[in-house]
Parts: sequence; C-alpha cells; structure tokens
Amino acid sequence: MDSVDNRPAARDDPLEADGDTAASVTARRRRPARETFTDIALRAASIFTLIFIWWVLSLFFPPTLVPNPRETFAEVGAIIQSGELLIEMGATLRRVGVAFAIAIVLSIPIGIFMGTVKAIESFFEPPVVLGLTVPGLIWAVLAIMFFGLNEHSAYAAVAVSILPMLTISIWQGTKAIDKELLDMSAVFHASAWSKIVDVIMPQLISHILAAIRYGLGFAWKVVVVVEMFGFSNGVGYRVVRGFNTFSMKAVLAWTIAFLIVMVFIEFGLIGWLERSVTRWRPRAEAWRR
Amino acid sequence: MATVRVERAFKSFVREDGAEMRVLDGVTFEARDNGITCLLGPSGCGKSTLLNAIAGLEKLDAGKIEFQVSSLNFVGTEVFSNPHLKPETRNLKLGYVFQDPRLLNWKRVEGNLTFAFRGMSVPRDEWKPRLEKYLGLVGLAEFRRQYPLFLSGGMRQRVGLARALAIEPEVLLMDEPFSKLDQLTARKLRRDTLNICARLNQTALLVTHDVEEAAYMGDRIVIFSARPARIVEVLDNPLPTSARDPDEAEFIGFKKTLLNIVLKLIGQEDA
Repeated sequence: MDSVDNRPAARDDPLEADGDTAASVTARRRRPARETFTDIALRAASIFTLIFIWWVLSLFFPPTLVPNPRETFAEVGAIIQSGELLIEMGATLRRVGVAFAIAIVLSIPIGIFMGTVKAIESFFEPPVVLGLTVPGLIWAVLAIMFFGLNEHSAYAAVAVSILPMLTISIWQGTKAIDKELLDMSAVFHASAWSKIVDVIMPQLISHILAAIRYGLGFAWKVVVVVEMFGFSNGVGYRVVRGFNTFSMKAVLAWTIAFLIVMVFIEFGLIGWLERSVTRWRPRAEAWRR
Repeated sequence: MATVRVERAFKSFVREDGAEMRVLDGVTFEARDNGITCLLGPSGCGKSTLLNAIAGLEKLDAGKIEFQVSSLNFVGTEVFSNPHLKPETRNLKLGYVFQDPRLLNWKRVEGNLTFAFRGMSVPRDEWKPRLEKYLGLVGLAEFRRQYPLFLSGGMRQRVGLARALAIEPEVLLMDEPFSKLDQLTARKLRRDTLNICARLNQTALLVTHDVEEAAYMGDRIVIFSARPARIVEVLDNPLPTSARDPDEAEFIGFKKTLLNIVLKLIGQEDA
C-alpha cells in the first residue's frame, strides 16, 4: 500500500492533547482552490502549445504531410457528428471491454492466490514475468493465426497481453495486505464475507485501479493493432483506411477522436472511480508541491 | 460479571535457526472481576502472546484459559476454555484494544464500530444508541462521520477503545494501548480509560511494561518474569481508582513500592 501510511503522524497538540476541533479537521481536508486553477491552466497551456507547434509545421509542409490543424479538427467534428465515431469506437470499446472483463476475472484470483500461497506464487511467477516481456504485436499475430480474423482473436490478444500486468498488481497488492487488520477482524468475529468486503477488497482496490489504468493504456495499443490486420470496423481499421488512401488528415483525425475518448475514460471515468473509492484518504497535495 | 483464569499456560516458538524458544513457562493467575488486571513484565517476555491466546488469536501448547461469565444472557455460571476454538464460545464477547488503533481507515468512525457490531451479531436496533453512548464516552460523539486518517493519533486510539467497548464485552483486552502515543496524550487517555472502565464496571486485562502505568491502571497487578515468562508476584492495588493521582504522594509511594518489587524480582535476572 503506498499512501495508507502517509498519515499526518503525531498531530497531537502537546498542550491540548486530542484537542483537534472539528474546524481544523475539515480545514485540513479542503484543497486550496487557486492551486487547482493554476494546475488546470498549465495543463491547458501544454495542449495549446502542441497544437501551436503543429500549426507552425503545417505552414512549411504540404497538407498531405502536415494538414492544417483547423481542418483536421473540423474533420474530427464531422466524424463525431456523423455518428461514425460512435460506431467505430463502439466496436473498439467492446473489444477492450470484453478482453478486460476476461483479464480481470482471471487475474484477481490468480493474483490473490499468488500473494497468499507460496507454491502458487512459485508456479505462476515465470509465466507472469515472461508474459510481461512479450510485445502486444506478437500476441496480436498469434491470436489472429489461431482464431482467424474474428472477434475472438481481438478478445484473446488484448486479454492475454494485459493479463500479466493486472496479475502482478493484484499479486503485489495481496502481499501488502495488513495482516494485523485480519487479526482484528478475527477478534470481532467478522464473517468470511465481511473480511473480504470490509478488510481485504478496500486494501486491494487501489492496486486494482492502478492495474486497470496501466492495462487500459496497453489494451488500446493492442486492439488498434489487431484491428489494423484486417478487421472491417473499429478505430484501428479507420486509421488503416486513412493510411491506404494516404490521407494524413483522416489518420490524424481518427487518432485525435480516439484520444478524446481515451482522455475522457482515463481521467474522467477512472479518475472519478479512484476519487470515489479513496475519499477516506487525506489528499497528498500539501507535501507534494 | 466475568472472571478469567489462566492455568499452567505453556507456549514455545520455533526460531528461524530451528531452536525452540520458550515464551510462556507455566503461567497461572486469575484476573479480577469488575476491575483492571495489569500484566506487567519486561518487553518481549510473552505477555502479549498470552493476551493473544486469551483472545483466541494464538494457541497454547498446554494449559487452560477459563472464563466464568454470569451475565444476563446466561443462567448461573458458564465456563469456557479457549474461545474461538469451540463454537459455543461465540457467545463470549471479548473486546480488544491493540497497540496500534488497527482501524479500517476506509470506513468512517461509526463504520468501524458497526463492523464490530455486525461481527458480534449486535441487534440492528441497538446500533444507534450504542454508537451514541460509546463514542460519547470516549469523547468522539461529533466525529462519528469522520474518516480515521483525518483524526489525530490519540483520537484514533479512542476509536479503537470505543469499538472494543461498544460490543459490551465480558472482558476487555488491551495490549499496550498507550505506548505509541506521546506522553501527554497517553496520560489523558489513561485517565479516561480508567474512569470509563470504573463507570462500566468493566473486567479488563491490560498488558504493559510500564510500572507507573500498572500502578495507575491496575486494580490487580500480575508481575511477569523475563522470557520464558513465569508469574513472580501478584498484588492488589491498595488505592481505589479515585485516589490514584499521578501527582499525589500516596500514589507516588505505591509506584515506588511496585518499582522496588519489580527490580528485586526480575531486575537481577536481567543483569
């Protein structure tokens, strides 16, 4: 567990021990609004700088090599408006979603057993560590050769390539579980179900979320590669079609549209999930600076 | 209300080099009913191991731990041996306050108490009054919706105390609960714990290596030798709870007496 122990230790005021008032407790909890604003401004400036550099480059190169950013973004808008993005992205998301579900369902028990039973740890460690080093492209090739060009190969390639990553996170998270809390729950006669739900899962959840985050980053890369091999839908297919017609604008527009959805999922959905399961943890902002 | 008897308790651990290390060497004593019994001994002597055995977290190699309980739930007196090992002992309620608070940091203060309620099968309609009563007793009534990591160390230990008391245990077990707090917080929490236990007529066992703490908290003081632990002396505190003021001559006198006994009985063995 990373920040569980980052508690503001020994906060007791020596003169009025235990004298923390409700006010000081809530004050410690609130985040300074201005810092957040500066943060957002810096992030926005970073994006605009990138687009500016792109625009400068587009002045020196023909549009077939570096298309105008404004036209490209208009194309992005068209892709979104026409509903094409929804359809292609839907196909890609479904592949990633199914593969993720498979990988999660497999990695949680394997990871938990690896973290608790020495023999299982020794048995699974080599394939997990080896699996981590195999490039996603190889899994894509193997899956297509084995299953043919159908949905199964996409599910298999993505699931297999993220499985080691997820398993390692859950394995390490399980090893980091606080045994003393398990003793505590035994003293209070907690049921097996309560031990899992109230004691073990909350300690694992931050590891699982981190795993999902890394796993997603990897899954997108693999699924696009699989789709490029000859699928007839999905974002990867549209990028390849842009490539075949040598339309830099289409390739970039699809990439950007894809990025927008990714940003929403990674920062929006997963970020929200993370915040909502770690409300109990004081924010680390104060010491990071 | 409840008494605890430990009879000829033996326990050994096997060290990593394979050598056997005896921790408990035939420990026998009886805790006082409706009062605090301090298990006083040098660090690492096996007091905590014994407390864990009483709580059922650890198994003795030999010996007996008996609880005599005459609460409203039971007609007459029931005798249990080591709890958790037999299903019928699930009726016996033991509260445990650990050295660290051992709270579920992802649950609010009240959630930490209801976690214990659920485990101990406290009827749901009692949850609310008990939350109010016991969080009030430890002085945290207004913090019930707070998360533990937003509280100070002393307050977290108070939550641990409230959790142990709120299941209304026949016996309250405490394993050096003040040793990781700063001196003034510890002093305040000792006083409050003593008063709460007196008010609730709580039978309690307190493990400590601190002579002053034993003199202050213990109605009965059981002195352990260094490892392997044997009982070298049992004495009852001549001062009633209300007369134990750390700054009063009478208390200081008793503390000195106790210290001399400890030094005489186990001091030389250490040297």
